[in-house]
Amino acid sequence: MVPHLKSIQSLLYRLITAPSGVGEGLAAERGLPAGGLESVIRGDDRLSAQDRVDIYANMYFYRLLEVMKEDYSATAEVLGEVNFHNLITGYLLEYPPTEPSVMWAGRHLADFLRDHPLSEEFPFVADLATLERATIDVFCAADAPVLEAAEMNSIPARRWAAVRMRRVPASAILQVQWKVADVLRAVEEKRRWTQPSRVSNRILVWRRHSRVSYREIGSGEAEALTALDRSRAFAEVCEMLARDLPDNTAAGEISRLLAQWLADGLIMRSSAMRRRALPHPAS
Amino acid sequence: MRRSDFPFLGFGVGLRRPHYAHVLENRPPMDWFEVISENFMVAGGRPLEILAAVRDRYPIVMHGVSLSIGSADPLNRRYLSELRAMAKRFEPAWISDHLCWTGVGGRNLHDLLPLPYTEEVVRHVSRRIRVVQDFLERPILIENVSSYMTFRESRLAEWEFLRAVAEEADCGILLDINNVFVSAFNHRFSAEEYIDAIPVERVVQYHLAGHTDCGTHLLDTHDHPVCEEVWALYARAVRRFGAVSALIEWDDNIPEFSVLVQTAERARQIYRGAIGAKAAGDGSSSEIHSEPAL
Repeated sequence: MVPHLKSIQSLLYRLITAPSGVGEGLAAERGLPAGGLESVIRGDDRLSAQDRVDIYANMYFYRLLEVMKEDYSATAEVLGEVNFHNLITGYLLEYPPTEPSVMWAGRHLADFLRDHPLSEEFPFVADLATLERATIDVFCAADAPVLEAAEMNSIPARRWAAVRMRRVPASAILQVQWKVADVLRAVEEKRRWTQPSRVSNRILVWRRHSRVSYREIGSGEAEALTALDRSRAFAEVCEMLARDLPDNTAAGEISRLLAQWLADGLIMRSSAMRRRALPHPAS
Repeated sequence: MRRSDFPFLGFGVGLRRPHYAHVLENRPPMDWFEVISENFMVAGGRPLEILAAVRDRYPIVMHGVSLSIGSADPLNRRYLSELRAMAKRFEPAWISDHLCWTGVGGRNLHDLLPLPYTEEVVRHVSRRIRVVQDFLERPILIENVSSYMTFRESRLAEWEFLRAVAEEADCGILLDINNVFVSAFNHRFSAEEYIDAIPVERVVQYHLAGHTDCGTHLLDTHDHPVCEEVWALYARAVRRFGAVSALIEWDDNIPEFSVLVQTAERARQIYRGAIGAKAAGDGSSSEIHSEPAL
């Protein structure tokens, strides 16, 4: 039973996903029974067997195209309708959806764009897609208890050096070669976007109170935040930040960055802090 | 599976993104919401916050689109684990998915494709439904899909296939009235005969939705109001099946929430009228359940 069902479903899968339509898919098909598609699918005076499979082929492509347009709205705007349509046609051949949720269908688009001919005309577009994808991933990344400024301030200053810090899962640090944050912001604000400059830069993407934000960050901040993928002592983080800062401004700058991270909800509350916050059992 | 195992939830609507803010801020009167399971299979963030907040205030049902119960591929255990975890956290009144296949060879078409209606496929699908039900530790509902093609090898009518699968798997049926209407037009069968052939004790939920007339075929687009013919079929279904929870689906060109409320209210009025007529006709009011208080 299953082998027969598999052969029918595989045939329909190949026809529905054929890049130039069901007709060309049929012409290239080697697994058809002797009677052709009509011997598998019933046609009638309203719609032939091929017409009927075509309905599914159109729904497959256009449903995914709409998802991609929504997930990569800035990339789609930069490339224009025809380019984006053709891009997705090729993308779906290279990376057909495999996950149950359609939200993962576009997760490889930035990788696909890096080697795509469109990247010659729009050399920044793979970076732009990388940024757009990061905003989606951060939007639905795992929740974590956030260390609030008031809580940090309640810890005596002499103990700060030993406080363990870790970055929340709903954050990402991107290394890109073009100033694509400006492009995404322009598209989001419905302003005219302009060609970004080619400057290596780092973008922090994070979520705070369900809202995803992004901003360019310096190399020192990026290095320190990247190191916070693993738990680090605050003293260690300060050392990293201080490396690129002049001695006379280091303390102020570190203090400013820490305040910013806490305001952005970037630091997880450690389990040790949570334990301390628990009320003491009655003696 | 007994229908009495499932509560009568009344008249609900599908929870969709454009209405999240309205639902959370205004807590509009609504009997229940149906959510698309896959939209909430994420690690965290806003989707799960919204679902938790909605669940605090309303009954919910989890409706899936990627179980692919009719696929020749093995069941996706990771997907089932996520579904089970989600059900444990949000305690839906029930879980449903479609009587179809959505992918093969590890790939997903993100569409609901029909199956050959044969005894062999009945056995294949019902065996898999039993595995799913054992894994989820609860009976599930399977929904009839709209379809645009039929297989030469089919030996059963669609309603015979649906009934046979539900009985062999011992699961419930989510009867999509619009899908019956769409497929009846596309494959030239009688929608009334379909409704009349479905076993009463298995139907736990209805879907009501709009479709698009493409001339040669009807397309299940969920982007229009429910048409009069579908309302008439619904009234027929209510007379046959009695108190069954009904849900309005609207997935594209989504209108103001008030339009969905009005549509759900129309379903309620038709239910009241049809149930009244049924009780008057056969002298029985045993199918009348008390409706959820708003």
